[in-house]
Amino acid sequence: MSLPKTLTWLLAGAALSLTASAAMAQQTNLRVFVSSQHRPDVWRKAFDMYEAKNPNVKVTIETGGNTSEAQAQYLNTVMTAKDTSLDVMILDVIRPAQYAAAGWTVPFNDVLGNNAEAAMKQYLPAYAEANTVDGKVVALPAFADAMFLYYRKDLLEKHGVKPPTTWDELTAAAKKVMDAEKDPNLQGLSFQGKAIEGAVCTFLLPYWSMGKNLVSNGKLSFDKDAAVKSFKLWKDFVDQGVAKKNIAEVATDDTRKEFQAGNVLFAVNWSYAWGQFQGGESAVKDKVGVVKLPAVAGGQPASCLGGWEWGVSAYSNNKTEAQKFVQYLSSPETSEFMAINAALLPAFADKYTDPDVTKAVPWFAEAKPVVETAKARPVTPRYNEVSEIIRTSVNAVLAGTTTPEQAADQMEGRLRRVLR
Amino acid sequence: MATASETSVVPTHNESATKWWTRFLDPSERTLAVLLLAPAALLLALIIVYPVCRLVWTSFQNLSLTSGVPAEFAGLENYRLMLDDPVFWETTWNTVLITLITVPGALFVGLAMALMANLPFKTKWPVRLSLLIPWALPLSFAGLIFAWFFHSEYGVVNDVLRRLGFEGVIWFNSANWAFAAICLTIIWKTSSFMALIILAGLQTIPRSLYEAAEVDGAGRMRQFFEITLPLLKPAIVVALIFRTITALQTFDIPFTMTRGGPGTSTATLAMYIHQNTVDFLDLGYGSALAVVMFALSMCVTAVYLRMIRAKG
Repeated sequence: MSLPKTLTWLLAGAALSLTASAAMAQQTNLRVFVSSQHRPDVWRKAFDMYEAKNPNVKVTIETGGNTSEAQAQYLNTVMTAKDTSLDVMILDVIRPAQYAAAGWTVPFNDVLGNNAEAAMKQYLPAYAEANTVDGKVVALPAFADAMFLYYRKDLLEKHGVKPPTTWDELTAAAKKVMDAEKDPNLQGLSFQGKAIEGAVCTFLLPYWSMGKNLVSNGKLSFDKDAAVKSFKLWKDFVDQGVAKKNIAEVATDDTRKEFQAGNVLFAVNWSYAWGQFQGGESAVKDKVGVVKLPAVAGGQPASCLGGWEWGVSAYSNNKTEAQKFVQYLSSPETSEFMAINAALLPAFADKYTDPDVTKAVPWFAEAKPVVETAKARPVTPRYNEVSEIIRTSVNAVLAGTTTPEQAADQMEGRLRRVLR
Repeated sequence: MATASETSVVPTHNESATKWWTRFLDPSERTLAVLLLAPAALLLALIIVYPVCRLVWTSFQNLSLTSGVPAEFAGLENYRLMLDDPVFWETTWNTVLITLITVPGALFVGLAMALMANLPFKTKWPVRLSLLIPWALPLSFAGLIFAWFFHSEYGVVNDVLRRLGFEGVIWFNSANWAFAAICLTIIWKTSSFMALIILAGLQTIPRSLYEAAEVDGAGRMRQFFEITLPLLKPAIVVALIFRTITALQTFDIPFTMTRGGPGTSTATLAMYIHQNTVDFLDLGYGSALAVVMFALSMCVTAVYLRMIRAKG
């Protein structure tokens, strides 16, 4: 081979590898953390649709942990290590404020432009608020959520009982049905007694229903009387046999599974449970009703505001692409898709009455006022500590290791240390 | 005179020449030791001394990643907070209790296992293997497996109890039962380690001692208390040191079995440190707690070392 020929080949080869690497450089790989309890299989379909429209983006899903705390523990480790491998992560509604304080998420203000405030107005107000910290949009809503009372429509109809509006009515209804059914496997009520994030809501539901707040203006406003009553309400369910004895071992998804297996009459749970109750493997398909949670006698019904948000990691190497992707995930279209296919409540008010949505999940129309009036758990950067104090107290009372009075005393003392 | 001065001068010259060379080719034993130890010492300093110093320094700071405020020197503030933190006292007490129960527990079970394994079986491997398996199993796996064993509805323990005519126990719904379940698991997990060390000790005891004792008419029990136990003491002390230190650091088994519940009744100090640093991101307070645990381990080690020295 002559020298000029060799040179030509060499140059051609070099040019080829250059173009190849240029094409590689355009390809962006986004790694997204999705909570395993929120239908990663359906999110995957939403990701696929984005990939189809944006051929230069490849989305990899990462999932793990089956509770909000387990996921927070994992993400805390990744973030403190300044790990660059994760680009986007889904965060429980209580966390964007913490993540922003720690500097772990990138604000969206640059991509949202000057009218970030207007952009946030399209969401339900609670979510605009939860994702805005000191005027900065730190995350965008993935879906909304609130706690509801699921009930066995078939059993209530059979025994001529109406869905309860107070907790006392629930006790009476549960006893009536349980006495008549004589099924030793049937639990009257299932709720979250394990020391998990859900147990914080367990405590707050009756506490809020009595018109009390835990924190006002960043200061602790603990009402011991209401706290004792709240603990007593749940403990009474156990003592009267309405809830099962080991309710202190029950986490959110246990409630879902046991109801789905047909062993529970009333269940306190989030919206995601509906999709699974109506799924092919469910023993209670078409036998399920949903209403807003009962109130304490003389009180207002209260629900716990849930929902999850998309944040972009401050250590991501693809922040701009990741932000674009999150804007897609937080759009009305994706919200509608997830409502229809995964029964995840939309963060947009008008989607609740969208005909396609109500066809798939008829009760969403009634869910809207519940979500709109649901109360947010205390917003503080030290929320993890507040949460831990509340959930271990609930757990200890339900297991019978402390009395409601002792628990309320200890809880107040420990909360004062954190929210001083 | 001239020769004398010459002889006195030449060796001095030679000596200084040797000194110059020694530094490179023929170092004295002391320099050699320093040179050889330097890499290891440097590595240890990097991975142990530096982190420990950093830990102590952090424990004097207000450093919480969720506060959004940069670290600031706080003196003994974190230690003061610890004193009136009920969870600190509870977790510390739980840790001490676990140590007091599981260390002697594992010693007795381990000793029994070692004595059994030392019996003259024809095929030794099944006994040895069953000794090794619990030891080789990762702690968190053991915790998860036993959490299922003790599960109130699907667990094998309650199943056996019910078949025997007892009522099942809701193990993790009561502070005492949960604590008992954890201690049983820890003893199961750690006694094989004790057994392995004690077995090694047993095999160094010469057969002739027992033969002599038999000739003198000593019974089995007498032989055990007069020969076996005294000669096993060094092995037992070593096993106890390791076991006690790991018992003070108990984390995996209660973490996987109960997460410290019900309430905080089975949480250990190591779990509380983990919670403060990883969950609450309060690195200052977490470090202060870790310093306390470090001090606790050092004290126990010092006591044991003194025991060995007194005996040696």
